[in-house]
Formats: sequence, C-alpha cells, structure tokens
Amino acid sequence: MIQINSLSKMYGNVRAVDNITLSINKGEVFGLLGPNGAGKTTTMRMLTALSRPDSGTGMINGFDVAENSFEIKKHIGVVPQENNLDRELTAYENLLIYGMLHRVHDKERKIGETLRMVDLWDRRDSIVSGFSGGMQRRLLLARALLPEPTVLFLDEPSIGLDPQIRRQLWDIIRKTRIEGRTVVITTHYIEEAEALCDRVGILARGRLIALDAPASLKNSVGDYIVEHIDAVGKLIQHICKSRDEAHEIAKRESNSVTIRKSNLEDVFIQLTGERIE
Amino acid sequence: MITAGWYPVFLKEMLHFKRRLLKLGYLFSAMVVPIIYLIAFGFGLGRSVRIDGSDYLSFLLPGLVAMSSMNNSYTWVANTLNINRLYFKTFQVFVQAPISPASIMTGEVLAGMTKGIFASSLIIIVGFLSSSDFSITLLFLIALLLNCFLFANLGVIIGMRAKSHEDTATYSNFLIMPMAFFSGTFFPVDKLPVLFKAVIYILPLTHTSILIRKTHMDVEGIFSLCVLIVYTIVFFIYGSKLIREYSE
Repeated sequence: MIQINSLSKMYGNVRAVDNITLSINKGEVFGLLGPNGAGKTTTMRMLTALSRPDSGTGMINGFDVAENSFEIKKHIGVVPQENNLDRELTAYENLLIYGMLHRVHDKERKIGETLRMVDLWDRRDSIVSGFSGGMQRRLLLARALLPEPTVLFLDEPSIGLDPQIRRQLWDIIRKTRIEGRTVVITTHYIEEAEALCDRVGILARGRLIALDAPASLKNSVGDYIVEHIDAVGKLIQHICKSRDEAHEIAKRESNSVTIRKSNLEDVFIQLTGERIE
Repeated sequence: MITAGWYPVFLKEMLHFKRRLLKLGYLFSAMVVPIIYLIAFGFGLGRSVRIDGSDYLSFLLPGLVAMSSMNNSYTWVANTLNINRLYFKTFQVFVQAPISPASIMTGEVLAGMTKGIFASSLIIIVGFLSSSDFSITLLFLIALLLNCFLFANLGVIIGMRAKSHEDTATYSNFLIMPMAFFSGTFFPVDKLPVLFKAVIYILPLTHTSILIRKTHMDVEGIFSLCVLIVYTIVFFIYGSKLIREYSE
C-alpha cells in the first residue's frame, strides 16, 4: 500500500511536483501518465529514496520515504528511466552484485530463474554493452525483480523501444504481477497505460489532474470520437457518449470522417487542451 | 552502521579492475608517471645529489611510493564515483539498496585502496631492482596503507562534490598536484622557507612522506601518524555524510 499526501518538490523556481495526494492499493498496477516534464519521474524518485520531498509525505508499506528510507529499500524494486546497468559487467555479474546489495538468499537459483524469465539466460556471461536496447530493458526488469520486491517501480519501462519489443516487454511485466505485488508505472505512452494499468493518475505540470480506472476516465469524456479534417486542414474532433451519437454526427459531415473509440490521450486533451505524446 | 553491505560495492569495482588489468596499456599507465620521475630525478639529476649523507635514489624511492599510492587511490575513486554518479547512474543503485552510507563509503574506499597498493607495489619492485639500499619497514607499510586509505576517502569526497567530470580535474590540480611536488616526494620539506613550510605541513602527503622514510618511531613519526589518522577519520565521516545526504 502506498499513501502519498501533499507531496511537493521544487527544482530552482520550477515546481516539479505540486501537492500530489493519492493512494495506491496493495496488488494494484497503477500508472502515472503524463507528458515529459509532468513530474512523473520526480514523484518516482521521491518514492524510491533517491530524492527528498520538499514537503508532504510518502508512505510505502507503512514506512515514510523521508524518515525510514532504509526500511523502504528492503521492499522496493526499481527500473529507472535511464539505463543504470553496469555496461562493463556481464548480465550475471550485474544481478550478482544487485542480489548481494539486497541480501538475496539462494542467489544462484534466483538469478537463473529471473534471467530465464526475461529470456536472457543464454546471454548471462555476455558483457551488457553488447546488448540491444530491448535486452537491456529486460535485464533491468530482471534485476529489479531479483529480491522479490512487494512494490515494483517502473519508470518509462519501454521508452525508446520499437512497438514489437515493447509488447514483448509488456508480456513480461504482466508476468511479474504476482499475488499482492504493487506495480507503479510511469509512462507517456497511452497504449502502455491502457494495456497494463488497473488505475491511472494523470499528471500535468506537476499536478494530479485526474485519477481513475482507464475505462472510467475514457467514459467520463465519451466513449467514441468522430474525427474529420475541415476545409483549412484542421483536425476537428467530436466526443460522443454512444456509437449511435457518433454515427449521427458522421452522417451530418460532408467530408470523410473517422469514428474510433476514445483513449487516454483524449482524456488528457479534454482536461488540458494539450497532447501527451 | 558498517555491515557486509560494503562487499558488493567493493566487488563491483574489483571486477572492473580485473578487466582493466588484463589490458596491457593500463598496467603501463599506472607506472609511467613515477617511472618518468625515477629516471629524470633519480638516475638523471639524482646522481649528483646526496641527502643526509645518502644517495638521492634512496631518498626518492619512498617518496615516489607515497606519491603513487596517493595518485592512484584518489584518482580511481574520484573519477569512478563521479562518472558513475553523473553519467552512468550506477551509483544510484547503491543509494537505492538497503545498505548504510558507511558501507558504500567503505566499499569505494577499499577499492581505491586496492588500486593504490597495486600501483605502489609496481614502484616497490622497481625500487628493489634499482637500489640495493631500498628496504621496507613496518612503518613503511603502515604509512603506505594509511595513505591509500586516506586518499581514497578524499576521492569519495571529491567524487561526490564535483559537479562534472572536468570539475574533478580542477580539484586534482589544486589539491593533488601541489602535494605531489611539495610534500616531500622530491626534496625534504625542512629545506623550504618557513612560511611555505607551515602550509606544506598542513597537507597529509607531507606526513606520509615523513612516516614512510622512518626506520624507527620517534616523536616526529608519532605526530605524523596522528595527523594521518585524524585526516582519515575526518574524511571518512564527511564522505559518509555526503552519501547519506545524497538527493537528486
């Protein structure tokens, strides 16, 4: 269980995280969605003991992130946005060092299991700098899972990966969802948030502007979007509550129209007037 | 609280060290500066110089060991920590692990110390090959180990404080370089002008240079040993504090 109360962080004059309050339930896959600079990574850094909050509190499994960071570190696994694997070491050595740091018992067996889970067992003795981007992301995930954390933080887990590799990574992330494990994902990929998360918090300029299940958020805006290009080439969108309403609008338009289901990007546009991606 | 948490920090650096050792160029780079000094000052200029009745090479060799141990212990830790913190972000893996700041400090310092001892060993071998008067005493070993430990601690402090990799070079130019030349490596400190001597006696390498040349303990040696111990403790505490207060 994660409880965040009035969490704030400034960098110079920029308010990176502005008075965020939310709670994440045990066993939930929770997404923090927003464009670059929305405050997702700063929030995650504060929750993972890498950055001190200026004000407010963050509690993980009953421990305060500022006061009891040592205890929190025993419960969390982190996949950072920036690849911080040791590129001069092998995949096995990276996991061995991490296992020792987190006092993992029966390291040999667990390293073998996690490397097999991410399909890197055959490359265990290869130097990481020779790995592709997708392999390095999988190894980061394996490393975070090695101590069997009760809370797993994934900061932009599929950033920079092509769509096919991204979907492979999502399959692995789904496998990590074991009984009772809470997963927190930051992402600016709409599809990722919709594919993986039970609930989503939408961030914009450091503030939490919406919080609900993806389906509920989309429903609050409208289930269908009718799109067409007007005479001056501008994209016009109509938000509709039902398919019938969408067809009615489509019939009235003389230009060719597209009817599609709404997504979280539409929710973000509705709330801020800006796009996420 | 220091726990076994230091070991993975140390092991990681040793795995890097092992790989670099296998590269021939690295071995030569660790030796090249002191060997140049040995040839230039010891075999060149030193042939016509005598200090306290002994030949210059006998005076120079312990000083080169002290200087080399300082350079290698300090540089390894300062550069590695700075790059790992600012560019590779691997230092953050330690910060997010359930180990104490003192454990991170200890692991980094022992790794730097190992490199300092390794580089010094190469100079010691050259010393035995080039001078029949060269010998190692217990005080020599104590001074060497303490010097490596002390400057690896300083390396952590600079590695944590420097805001860029270029910054570490600036610290080296203002801290390490003056010590290498003025702290008793190439000539006795008591030959310096009084005012300058007072400044030089504040620097830790001066006391290593004094202690490493002692054949038996005397008042001066005890004083230098105490100065080195105080420096080491202060640096260790301050380095641990910097790690504990680390926040992005």
